[in-house]
Formats: sequence, structure tokens, C-alpha cells
Amino acid sequence: MGKLTIGCFSSLVGSLSLDFAVKLSEAAVKKGHTVDLWLSGNATMLSKKGQKAFKDYSHLQKPIQELFTTGSFQMTACEACAEARGYHKEDTMEGCKRFSMDWYLASCFSADRVLHIGGD
Amino acid sequence: MKLGVLMSDIRTGSDVIGRLTAEKLGIIFVGNGIYHATVKEDGKASSILGKSATFYVLSEDLESRGFSSSDVDSRVKPVTYSDLVDLIFNDYEKIVWL
Amino acid sequence: MATKRLGFIIRGLPYKTEASRLAMTHAIASQSVEIYLEDGDMVEPVVCFVGDGVLNCLKNQQAMKHYGITSLEQHIKNSLLLDLKVLICKEDIERLGIKEASLIMDAEDIGGETKAQIVPYSEIQKEMESVDHLLLS
Repeated sequence: MGKLTIGCFSSLVGSLSLDFAVKLSEAAVKKGHTVDLWLSGNATMLSKKGQKAFKDYSHLQKPIQELFTTGSFQMTACEACAEARGYHKEDTMEGCKRFSMDWYLASCFSADRVLHIGGD
Repeated sequence: MKLGVLMSDIRTGSDVIGRLTAEKLGIIFVGNGIYHATVKEDGKASSILGKSATFYVLSEDLESRGFSSSDVDSRVKPVTYSDLVDLIFNDYEKIVWL
Repeated sequence: MATKRLGFIIRGLPYKTEASRLAMTHAIASQSVEIYLEDGDMVEPVVCFVGDGVLNCLKNQQAMKHYGITSLEQHIKNSLLLDLKVLICKEDIERLGIKEASLIMDAEDIGGETKAQIVPYSEIQKEMESVDHLLLS
């Protein structure tokens, strides 16, 4: 079994790129792999707690929380990117970590595969 | 290199695809990239399908946009997220997102 | 002890989206990655500008003056100061009518010794083949 590191810069709502990243994470974990999901830029919004579900917007808090329970998935948000957007450690979803960008590079170091979703 | 390209758009990324070379190249259409596999603009299939590569399309994204497997160009194989995980780990060493 | 090479391939324009800026800041973050790694392990980034991404490399960017944000020019200079390998695609600068004199080729003004290199796309392709992972923005 391998390790997949996914880095994403895309917004929580709008592009569906984060939805893709989460669905891919679910499929990889289901197959016995481990997944690190790194959120940078606008993607850090996924790490914010208290997301409310509406049918016109992507709602990923629930699948993320289910992924956390598997023990094979971790999600980390870029601390500076989050702070720049006005949300702080106490606003972070339970289970999600916050680190600086070097965390992502370290995750890439030990990954078998890296998928970097670098666009908006 | 064995390179898997996740192509997520129909209007951008062709410039990169055009000059990418790989010993083994897989192009997986996801998101709005699925239109490469389904739409014939001005009656012609996407020029990307003329590239020397193996082509896949993500079924969920196909169906989300109103298409089914029967609408897909014969050169493209529909895959699930589960299949995609296997492609990423077993068939390609490097993966890029366009 | 191992070194993993990461290829940051920047193809997007600066400023309208955060993509090229984040690619640069992540590449520069390699300088502190050791805190997460075993002794002797390293991450070595290579930064390649291709397509419209070469426009990130133009000199005299005044984003700080007008918007109060660090310019991509400054990030490129910082990466050169830290001795990161920076490659700029020759065919793309020619296509866009950009002369070498207009490009950020060094960081001498801040004490850097490493220079950016203008190389044919074939050289960038070789880098893409040699790195361990590709991070395309």
C-alpha cells in the first residue's frame, strides 16, 4: 500500500477541485492507501469548522470527518494562508492540523505519489 | 517517465499537453476536461485524442455533466475513482493536474 | 539519507490568481523542511517557468508600490538567493517577444550568486523527467 499526497490551492466552493481531491482521498483510503491532503491558498477554507450544508454549494465537512475516523487520512492547512483570510486556530475543524508550507514538502518527500492541484 | 495527466478543463492545458512527452503517457479527463471525450466541436473530436497516449474519463464527472459511457469517443475508457487510484499507483510514476 | 527533487512547473500568469505566488513560496519553504525530516534527508526544488508563466519573470514589478504585496520578482530573487535552480523556457520568451534583458536573471542586488537560466523546452522536459514529483501550477 502506498502514500498519496494531494496539495490543493482551489476554493472550497466553485471549482469542484476540492471535491475531486476528497473523493480521490476516499477511494484511495478505501483501497488501503494513506492520504495526506494539504490545503493552501483559497483551499484552506475547507479546514474551517462550522460549515453549513446547502445544496447549491460543495459541502465537504462530513466526508472529511469520516475520513479522519479511518486513521489513514490527515488534512493540514497552510497556517499563513488561513490567517491571511481571517480565520484562526480556534476556527479550525477538529482533526485538521495547521502548519507552514514546509510541512507539504515533507509530506511530498515521503509520498509514493503526489497530486498537486495548483490552480484556482 | 510514466506520466499521468489529469485534464480538468476543455479550454486550457492543451498548450502543455501539446509538447509533453513521456515514455508512457496517460490522459485522464476529469471535471470539465470530460468534454474532450464527448464533444465534437465543429464536428471534430478534440485534437488531444490524436496524441499518442492512453485516454480515460472519470465516469462520475461524465454523468454529472449529462453524458454517459455511450457518448464517449471510442479511444477513451471510462473509469471510476477506484480505477483512478489504481492508475495513479500502478500505471504512472508522476501525476500532474491541468 | 535521501534527497527528493520536486519540480515546480509554473505556467500561469502572475497576480490574477495566487497559483504562481504559492508555487514560489512553497518552493522557498524547502529551506526549512528539515525540521520534519530525518537527519541528512533533503528536499530540493527546481522551479521552471513555461508557457505564459514566463511573464512572472519580468523585471521592475511594482506590486508592492501599488498593492502592498510582495512581487513575483522578489520571490524569484529570494529563490535565487537561496540557490534554487530556476529555469525559464527559451521558446516561450521568444514567442512573447521578451528579451533576456527584461528578465530577472540574478539576485545580485540582495547578495545572491545563483543565476536563472534561459533554456530550451527540451531541458525543462529533462528536468521534469529527473525530478521525483511534479507540481504544476
